[in-house]
Amino acid sequence: MSNERFKLHPISAAVNFIKGLKDLIFPFIFIFVVNGFQGDSYEGGHWTDFVPYIVGFLVLTIILGSGIIKWKRFVYWFEEDELRIEYGLFVKKKRYIPFERIQSLNYTESILHRPFKLVKVTIETAGSGSAKEAEAELTAITRENAKRIEAEMAIAKKRKANILTDEAISMEDQIHETDTSIPIFKLSMKDLIILATTSGGIGVVFSGVAVFMSQFSDIIPYEKIYDEFVVFLKFGFFIVAISIFVFLLFAWIISVILTTLNYYQFTIVQDNNQIILTRGLLEKKKVSIPIGRVQGIRIVENPLRQLFGYCTVIVESAGGSLEDQDKKIRLFPLVKKSEIKQPLNKLFADFDFEPAWTTSPNEAKPFYYRLDFLWMLPVIAAVSYFYYPYGLLSLLLIPIVLLLGLWQHHSAGFSLHRNQLSLRYRGISKYTFFIEKKRMQSLEMTQSPFQKRKSLASIETTIKSGMLGATAKVDHLKVEDIEKVMTWYEPSGHEVIEKGQPH
Amino acid sequence: MRKEPINQISPKGLKVWRLYGLMHSAIIWLLAIGAGVLNWWLEGPWWVMVICVVLPILYTYIFVYLFPKLRWLRWRYEVREQEIELQHGLFVVKRTLVPMVRVQHVDTEQGPILRRYDLASITISTAATNHTIPALITSEADELRSRISTLARVAEDDV
Repeated sequence: MSNERFKLHPISAAVNFIKGLKDLIFPFIFIFVVNGFQGDSYEGGHWTDFVPYIVGFLVLTIILGSGIIKWKRFVYWFEEDELRIEYGLFVKKKRYIPFERIQSLNYTESILHRPFKLVKVTIETAGSGSAKEAEAELTAITRENAKRIEAEMAIAKKRKANILTDEAISMEDQIHETDTSIPIFKLSMKDLIILATTSGGIGVVFSGVAVFMSQFSDIIPYEKIYDEFVVFLKFGFFIVAISIFVFLLFAWIISVILTTLNYYQFTIVQDNNQIILTRGLLEKKKVSIPIGRVQGIRIVENPLRQLFGYCTVIVESAGGSLEDQDKKIRLFPLVKKSEIKQPLNKLFADFDFEPAWTTSPNEAKPFYYRLDFLWMLPVIAAVSYFYYPYGLLSLLLIPIVLLLGLWQHHSAGFSLHRNQLSLRYRGISKYTFFIEKKRMQSLEMTQSPFQKRKSLASIETTIKSGMLGATAKVDHLKVEDIEKVMTWYEPSGHEVIEKGQPH
Repeated sequence: MRKEPINQISPKGLKVWRLYGLMHSAIIWLLAIGAGVLNWWLEGPWWVMVICVVLPILYTYIFVYLFPKLRWLRWRYEVREQEIELQHGLFVVKRTLVPMVRVQHVDTEQGPILRRYDLASITISTAATNHTIPALITSEADELRSRISTLARVAEDDV
């Protein structure tokens, strides 16, 4: 066993420096803006005016220095089937991570890494402790060294298996060799463009309509009444609508650019028990998810994308850290709904992605919009009264809310299929959850007195996702159906059912 | 229809809730008296006086008598060998199932008021959720806690 100690690449000092800068950017802006205002009131220059600059310069050197020291101090090596890391600016810290606890190695290549063929490696463990302890990070190492970690892990694994039985590994090896890296999915250029343009799109469309409407109101002869008031209102409305539109357009363009950069060349590959995602143009990311850690699968269809038959598939995975927003991993950022079945079945053979749905009963329909009238009617009355005649437009809310409610009713449903519960519901987007029984942390049925009168109830289940939970809730189903789900979920109840059935 | 879980929480829990209600109500009474005096001072309309009397009475009735009673009547729990079932709620009834296999740890907790009445609350945590049974006799809560933690250790993942 080699006890060679590895250092990070010097570029990691620069990476540390930039990271430090990023954390300080707001205080810096604040200092300089405040200073700028003061500068106006003073005419002559005094040496105290330069204090902020001196402080700034000092802070910069400190950040740079600490970046360099952090890099100098950081070593890692392999010993006794563990990855051992020693680091620390003032306090020396050691972290030993046993290989079998390593859940996945994730790679990121930023623009700084690219020219030197380096990667940032994030080591994720199954740690259930505090968020910070959950992982280790090697800021910049060469690709060869990154491969080395994987190789060391593989060797250790083999050695362990060797002790058990010799035959077993040769079998395993064969399986591994034939199974390794099956490409599952690639985001096409066309889909990437659709993904980028529809990501934050709805707001732009709405505000565009608002601008259009404000022009349109010329034709409506309301002017004769309340002449001045209307002119003011129209003008104000136009200005507001235009500025919102410009703002949203700007936000939208940024989101288009960011999405394109982030999801450029998005591919999924299956490697043994891992799903490996690679993506990104400027910053290349490679994330692997152990299939065994997947808690549930969620399909999201927002109305705009649903119209064109597209959806997003999200995987809820356990473990990892709080800071990491990537725990809800978009498995397929955008895909035709008709095409997801095959790749999903390949990845998750145990799941049934087209179960037979039991939907919300007809008598539940009013429940989806009835409550909304409680806030809607007073609002409409008030708006119509105070902003007559334009306020009457608020009456449009009624059909919109009514239709949304009916749509929600149409989408609501559940399905029981062996050990899998599927829930389908709609807020504005439609969500379809596929969860295995063993992943459900709890199941809850809620029933209001109104629901009770119609023999309805709602159902809610929580699964683990990252450090927290993710909840799926379907409203207004038949009580008897929900009780069926409760009995199915209950470990003791389950036995009763199995005994009761003939086979 | 599913059977309700069998166990109710301690009747002393009802007392504690009433006490909490009484504390709120006292604040409302103080505010109402203040408003009433001010109204009298400024010779305001008579109906303000009526509100100042009716509102706190209503509040006291609801939060000292009605809600605690409904809540107490609704609260049920049952710890079976393989799962825990809870039922609670005021108007909206919630029934929760937590399988023993999913239970990660159990805590009991006792604030100053609960301690006066020899009560404790028990919190059952899974990897993603927390469930609290609010008012049990301390000895009962302790016993339940150790029972759940034993059962949780025994329970096997059959899936």
